[in-house]
Amino acid sequence: MVNAIKGVFISCDIPMAQYIINMNASVPASDKFIIHILDSTHMFVQPQVEQMIRSQIAKFREDNTYVKPN
Amino acid sequence: MGQHGHGDKGRPFKKFKPSNKFEDSSKRGFDDDDVYGGDDAHDEDDGKVKDFSKLELKPDHLNRPLWACGNGRIFLETFSPLYKQAYDFLIAIAEPVCRPESMHEYNLTPHSLYAAVSVGLETETIISVLNKLSKTKLPKEMISFIHDSTANYGKVKLVLKKNRYFIESPFPEVLKTLLKDEVISRARITSEGTNGDGFTISKAAGEIEGRHDELLNEAEVAAAAEEKETHAFEINPSQVENVKQRCLPNALNYPMLEEYDFRNDTVNPDLDMELKPQAQPRPYQEKSLSKMFGNGRARSGIIVLPCGAGKSLVGVSAASRIKKSCLCLATNAVSVDQWAFQFKLWSTIREENICRFTSDSKERFRGNARVVVTTYNMVAFGGKRSEESEKIIEEIRNREWGLLLMDEVHVVPAHMFRKVISITKSHCKLGLTATLVREDERITDLNFLIGPKLYEANWLDLVKGGFIANVQCAEVWCPMTREFFAEYLKKENSKKRQALYVMNPNKFRACEFLINYHERARGDKIIVFADNLFALTEYAMKLRKPMIYGATSHVERTKILQAFKTSKDVNTVFLSKVGDNSIDIPEANVIIQISSHAGSRRQEAQRLGRILRAKGKLQDRMAGGKEEYNAFFYSLVSTDTQEMYYSTKRQQFLIDQGYSFKVITSLPPPDEGPRLSYHHLDDQLALLSKVLSAGDDAVGLEQLEEDTDEIALRHARRSQGSMSAMSGAKGMVYMEYSTGKGKAPVKSKPKDPSKRHHLFRKRFG
Amino acid sequence: MPEVRIIAKNFMDMVASMPAMKLDKLYENGFICEAILRSLPPLGKKYVLQLLHIDVPVAAKLLEEWVLPDGYTKHRVAIDRLVQLRVFVEAVDRKNDKTYKLNPTFQKSLQKLLVHGGTLPREPMPSNITVRLPTLDDLEAYALQQWECFLLQLISSSLVEKPSNISSSLMKVFQRRLLSQRDKEAPKLTESGFQFLLMETNAQLWYIIREYISNSEERGVDAADLISFMLELSFHVIGEAYNINSLTDFQRSIIRDLADLGLVKLQQGRKESWFIPTKLATNLSVSLADSSSRKEGFVVVETNFRVYAYSTSRLHCEILRLFSKVEYQLPNLIVGAITKESLYNAFENGITAEQIISFLQQNAHPRVADRTPTVPENVTDQIRLWESDLNRVEMTEAYYYDEFPSRDVFEGACDTAREWNGLLWEDSKKMHMVVKTGVHTYVREYLRSQK
Repeated sequence: MVNAIKGVFISCDIPMAQYIINMNASVPASDKFIIHILDSTHMFVQPQVEQMIRSQIAKFREDNTYVKPN
Repeated sequence: MGQHGHGDKGRPFKKFKPSNKFEDSSKRGFDDDDVYGGDDAHDEDDGKVKDFSKLELKPDHLNRPLWACGNGRIFLETFSPLYKQAYDFLIAIAEPVCRPESMHEYNLTPHSLYAAVSVGLETETIISVLNKLSKTKLPKEMISFIHDSTANYGKVKLVLKKNRYFIESPFPEVLKTLLKDEVISRARITSEGTNGDGFTISKAAGEIEGRHDELLNEAEVAAAAEEKETHAFEINPSQVENVKQRCLPNALNYPMLEEYDFRNDTVNPDLDMELKPQAQPRPYQEKSLSKMFGNGRARSGIIVLPCGAGKSLVGVSAASRIKKSCLCLATNAVSVDQWAFQFKLWSTIREENICRFTSDSKERFRGNARVVVTTYNMVAFGGKRSEESEKIIEEIRNREWGLLLMDEVHVVPAHMFRKVISITKSHCKLGLTATLVREDERITDLNFLIGPKLYEANWLDLVKGGFIANVQCAEVWCPMTREFFAEYLKKENSKKRQALYVMNPNKFRACEFLINYHERARGDKIIVFADNLFALTEYAMKLRKPMIYGATSHVERTKILQAFKTSKDVNTVFLSKVGDNSIDIPEANVIIQISSHAGSRRQEAQRLGRILRAKGKLQDRMAGGKEEYNAFFYSLVSTDTQEMYYSTKRQQFLIDQGYSFKVITSLPPPDEGPRLSYHHLDDQLALLSKVLSAGDDAVGLEQLEEDTDEIALRHARRSQGSMSAMSGAKGMVYMEYSTGKGKAPVKSKPKDPSKRHHLFRKRFG
Repeated sequence: MPEVRIIAKNFMDMVASMPAMKLDKLYENGFICEAILRSLPPLGKKYVLQLLHIDVPVAAKLLEEWVLPDGYTKHRVAIDRLVQLRVFVEAVDRKNDKTYKLNPTFQKSLQKLLVHGGTLPREPMPSNITVRLPTLDDLEAYALQQWECFLLQLISSSLVEKPSNISSSLMKVFQRRLLSQRDKEAPKLTESGFQFLLMETNAQLWYIIREYISNSEERGVDAADLISFMLELSFHVIGEAYNINSLTDFQRSIIRDLADLGLVKLQQGRKESWFIPTKLATNLSVSLADSSSRKEGFVVVETNFRVYAYSTSRLHCEILRLFSKVEYQLPNLIVGAITKESLYNAFENGITAEQIISFLQQNAHPRVADRTPTVPENVTDQIRLWESDLNRVEMTEAYYYDEFPSRDVFEGACDTAREWNGLLWEDSKKMHMVVKTGVHTYVREYLRSQK
């Protein structure tokens, strides 16, 4: 019987994929959200984690950006 | 000025805010760059727009080049026909904020006005010229700010005449105020031939050179050139330092300008040296000297010129004009050699009249006038010396130096200067630097130890004039490979982060591609910089290029550099941090940075300076000529890592001078792939495991053990305390360097109101 | 692509979308016919003129013969346009072949125009009555000022000191897609609203006029009459005064609105009052592509990301605020900086990097307009890079399928998903696939049908 899981399909570049994988690795087992890693630029994750992933990525990006103070 | 309305219209002049980047810098690892701790002082940005729209435009505002705002900010249109004169004027009275091609921004600060007054500009002249250049009526707040700031500056001079020290002023009331102070009155020597107050009266020359004639009207020009009547009293030479201290802003607040009447110095022996005829100073070099010698005497202060613009010629010219003994201080031994060479190159000084004093070279000297070149460390060192050194230091101590010439002043911390200046007796002090740290509210130790800024050249103007090379700056974005990035993200690898983003195979390939391209297609000479020794070695060995780092022997260094200079087969050399100061490489025109120390803006500017020396004929360098873009500066950065943060930060200074960094995201081109190293995953993984298995120390920054000067400087900076360093010399320790444990984080600037500049203390309580 | 741009492109498109009866009524007006003629592609113009005096239907094949083989696409485009505008009436003859004939109303009006010339229903007033006529420069400044005032009020009524006479209900019509109204909050710009502000003036004008016309029926105004009047207005002479009394009641009722938008200036003499058309009015009939009301640029962007705008306009300040941090306002200069934060703010509001960049390029101050590039390359590059940075991760709600009983079923499912444009990913070796949530039902249906 064909199996279908509901979730979120992520398509991104290699570094972002790594970042998300790393994020997944650092959460406790009960919170792990990656269901399948499809290839180096695609994965399938639990529903409802979109916002969390986006805000983490935003923060990561901010940490790596220098903004000249006024 | 606090009485005038503030409201929401923007604060009247910048309020000092201790930068909260200090916490950040300790998290990120120590940021060597800023001696005074962290970023330049910044405006409290409350996000509100500063509304000066109610200023009244003059009818002919289109013909005037600048806007002046009530908070001290000035905007200058560069395309205006009055640009050149306006620039010279503004650079003399204000601090540049940014100077790109079309519009400059400046800040008027107490500090900058102090500098203005020091080069002979009077309050009324400043206001009148500013008003002439301004599109609107000058804001009231600015006028009163100028008055307040210049009220006490430039009124008192310390003049050394015929080996006697005089406190001079055109305002006898000011002298009387000073004499009310116990220390000063005790230092006074009364002499015959004085009038009622006991002051001697004489005439001092007005400004001869370096005026802003085109901007002044006839009456103003006459007034500036006028001889002024000055009053003076003499003080005991042994009390000079104490008197100077009493005059500082935290005490009587009449900071003294120091001028050396060298023409009338009959006591100190003359030094026979002239500028050689072939030493043709360029316009901006002349301008800077005219600020220094404007009224026939020698003023103490700082001259700011971009790297590669020829500051040595300025130093040698100054020494040649003064023609008295000159003590020249450099940051390290190689620099000492360079300065000695420059003295001999540009002036007629004889071999026996110039000597060097470094740990390797202790040329003795005696008797008459001469030039001595040494390092700050050699002079300031507080520990036990060898007998030989001890004798030389004694000589240095006892001699009266006409000129104290100080190179790279902003690399050296204040308390080191204090030491050097207290040990040596000099009549005029000239500081040279390419990068000036800006402190809006505080007039820094530097200004009172050396003197105010005399002149600052504009990088872009120098490029336009063909004096420095037109450099193409680029930031090459190298995405991390999957495996490297995965390791970078892991918490347990936090100490290896730098190694990982530096050894990123994509970065390696970009570097390799650039080297191949510039070597083969263009025949360029390339320097590759890497602060990280592990990376330096890996890269250099893999690409089979020579490398120089701290431990490279002197003989080896010379061999490599010689080959680099002359051989067609050696076109690329890899340098560690030694390349920043200790080595002179004039003939490279491409720089590739593969790893650079955390956010040091000075270092970035210095490295750029390596290729700024303009080559070829002037016409070729102008727009359209074949050398128009013949210098290239690449900064290779691994994306999505901390390196991006540091890279942007480092570029700030250059961006403020008008440079722009092009971002290149497509190197190397995909079809180059197989020809470059680390094309195969196996190779990449092998490299990765090498990086991961290397010890933590091995993958960190290079520690240059032998370079004692560097270490001493670094250590001195790290133990830099608060402004209380002004009040006493901190002992400096020789040969000790931090192993990385127990680094003292830079303390944040004191919020103690009594340490604030007095002008602001009054206004803001 | 948001609605705003496409529709605003062509006044004629709007005309073409009118119902047949209304269109016919419009064609009673010679000026409208002329305007339509002008807006046609070259082949279209040629066909109209050629059929102008022919009363019988002409075979489509015949028309085709006039065109060289490589011109066939242009021919089709022209014919389609003509039919769309109902300038051509399409029919079928006895042999079941297609024929074309000019719309009789259109034909008559155009013939009359050609033979008798166009006379406006009104002449300019004699200059001894019209005193204090503004110069053309003054008039242009007036038009611009009115328009800016209107735009400011559009964004937020608090920005204007003296609100125009446009009724609040009409304002609301204009704001419909540009602002979002939330209960207790002040209205905020929508994505379309932000893009609207960055558009060229002509494009903005078309948008507003379109809304004005579309909404006319609800206000009890005949759209055809409105279009008719506006097109007529576009044939008047800029700067000339026309007596208000020469307007119909209907026209008089809308002239006030047009004044508030800057299309006309109203003036009063001792006994008479008149209106003066501005450039905005005369530009109405010109298609956007032709319009070259080259406003003078006013923005200088420096390599260090600082922005200097030579302007005092409140509107310009608001526009710059869309994507940059405004720091200083001087009497004739606005100073700001393009920062990552300010750009992200813009991106989050739906503005794209390209829109910001073209705004900066199109409004470049003459001093830097000759520079190549007008906006420093490192700035435009960085703006685009920051934008792409935001879009690095795409997330789509989806379903993951595996454990297919056979390859055929798997491939069938993939095809189904593909047909519905919902196949996100497939691994044919493992027989797994990912499908958009919206398409899940179709795949499920397919699978059920396989049992």
